[in-house]
Amino acid sequence: METCFEVKDLNLYYGENQALKHLNLTIGRNRVMALIGPSGCGKSTFLRCLNRMNDLIENCRITGEIHLLEQNIYDQKMNVVQLRTKVGMVFQKPNPFPMSIYDNIAYGPRCQGVKEKKLLNQIVERSLKSAALYEEVKDRLHDSAMALSGGQQQRLCIARAIAMEPEVILMDEPTSALDPIATAKIEELIEQLKKTYTIVIVTHSMQQASRVSDDTAFFLLGEIVETDKTLTIFSKPKDKRTEDYISGRFG
Amino acid sequence: MKTNLIRRKLSDGFLQFLTLFSSLLAVGVLTALFYYIFANGLSLMNTDLLRNDYWSVSKIVAFDETVNQPGLYPRPQDLDESVAWSEKWGIGFVDYLSHEKKQLVLIETVAADSPLQSAFDTSAGAAQGKPVALSAGLQVEKIDFSQAAGTADFTGMLASATAAEVAQTLDQQAVKLTSIFIKTPGGGIRGSIITTAYLILVSLLIALPIGIASAVYLSEMAKKNRINMLIRTGIETLTGVPSIVYGLMGVSVLFPITALMGAKTTNILLGALTMAIILLPTIIRSTEEALLVVPKGLRDASLSLGASQTQTIFKITLPCAMPGILSGILLSIGRVVGESAALIYTMGTFINDKPGLLKQGTSLAVHIWSVMSGEQPNFELACAISIMILIFVLILNIAVKFLTRRLQKSWH
Repeated sequence: METCFEVKDLNLYYGENQALKHLNLTIGRNRVMALIGPSGCGKSTFLRCLNRMNDLIENCRITGEIHLLEQNIYDQKMNVVQLRTKVGMVFQKPNPFPMSIYDNIAYGPRCQGVKEKKLLNQIVERSLKSAALYEEVKDRLHDSAMALSGGQQQRLCIARAIAMEPEVILMDEPTSALDPIATAKIEELIEQLKKTYTIVIVTHSMQQASRVSDDTAFFLLGEIVETDKTLTIFSKPKDKRTEDYISGRFG
Repeated sequence: MKTNLIRRKLSDGFLQFLTLFSSLLAVGVLTALFYYIFANGLSLMNTDLLRNDYWSVSKIVAFDETVNQPGLYPRPQDLDESVAWSEKWGIGFVDYLSHEKKQLVLIETVAADSPLQSAFDTSAGAAQGKPVALSAGLQVEKIDFSQAAGTADFTGMLASATAAEVAQTLDQQAVKLTSIFIKTPGGGIRGSIITTAYLILVSLLIALPIGIASAVYLSEMAKKNRINMLIRTGIETLTGVPSIVYGLMGVSVLFPITALMGAKTTNILLGALTMAIILLPTIIRSTEEALLVVPKGLRDASLSLGASQTQTIFKITLPCAMPGILSGILLSIGRVVGESAALIYTMGTFINDKPGLLKQGTSLAVHIWSVMSGEQPNFELACAISIMILIFVLILNIAVKFLTRRLQKSWH
């Protein structure tokens, strides 16, 4: 199995408060890694370390290393903007920009200096097709993205991330604001996307984790308690705490 | 127990009455203000007020010798009953009561083939000898003419004649017109409207980019350190400085800048520069507030797509904050329209009918000050201008409300 992310002894502090403690994790390439755990356990914080979105938070200090394809992303020489083009992100709440569907998708490439109309058209079409949204919106590419339904908006956000042709897509509870049908569509999409991309997904739903992921990491109080193949975690957890959590005894 | 209950009822009732009375008082004052202004100024509100110069210009015109004789010019079919028509000279007059309650005789129309069409200016000055169009609205002060016997006589307002009498005198006595003393109508506020427009345009042109840029710096880029806290406190303090102090600063500090550009007196540009400084804190505040409302999720999304912080600000945050910034602009326009103290210093109080950036002029508010500060305050004109300002500010406020609602709707 090829390695995508290699996390080595990662610590994260908010001021005096240590939010992530000595994390070590390997995320395989073209696989889906689910991060589960109770609220406030640090899984979202960890996710945001993977594309350095925590950089923006004042008072936030990080030690340790995260290697993306053999390159330490916390290296001094790392270009953060460049990193984020390789590690896309989809957020909890669908957050399309208040502009047209087309402009939403073209936003990332345009920021990188792509101006050629033909190329942008291609990118938009390809991304929307990959996100299984093209058929629904192909006649109204230039209408506002805000008019789409919640599920469509979230797929648009995925398409927007895909437009950058990233290596990894980070998903922070991408279906928590959606109804079951829209959720099913997104899960279907994740199945498709993992052929091309590595996906790291934070989820509160154990069923979702078991449905969509290949590997699972269980977080508790800023630590990784256990990580293994999803099947193993859900059938034969090694740690008592993992067992308690997935059997619903707490969390 | 019972007396206690009654006492409580009484004190509750009194306090309730007090609150209601206070709010009624506020509404009452506003109503009274509107009533006063409209009752006094409404009679003056017409297009002439907006179109006319403030200063009236007097001219004496004479006519081409070759055509200067009476003919026969039938009264036009569509002419209003009230117009007094002179058949022999082809000119119509009307009576008009000015806002100073003065009885005026105005030219209403002149027949296309009338000898009066050959009028030219005889007053000394650059325009001497140039043709003058006898257009509607000109005041007929005095018409000198010769009678058949060769004697001279005159009619017009100086002879206390009404429109009908002027037309009749011309038809019955005049065989040749020596000259007409005309006066353009004054009392208009065209110049002040133009000056106000200049002020709004130039001050916003300067204050907007600077204000928005510093708001972006303060709310998006600045780290929380002592220098930035100092800058923020400074800007907040600026909001509280009375405008008259800004005016003083404008005259002493900014005047040399306009002097470099060729200004010899206080001028509109100086007023606009001073206004720009007065507007800065307002624009910074409203822009900052608008930026704050933009959801963090949009910024995160932009950054996660590999946009730099600057790209995020200028492509996402600022456009999203536009409605808020726009309402800041509208508030600023209201501020410019309402300002007077700082402008009296910096632009002077001379009502200029032909304003230019480096000339003196009055904004609408200063125009009010100007007509009220003379020996004979002109209440009607002041009230008419007040109506204009009130309506303008009212429209601005409604627009701000509308925009604010749009802004809230788009995110929630």
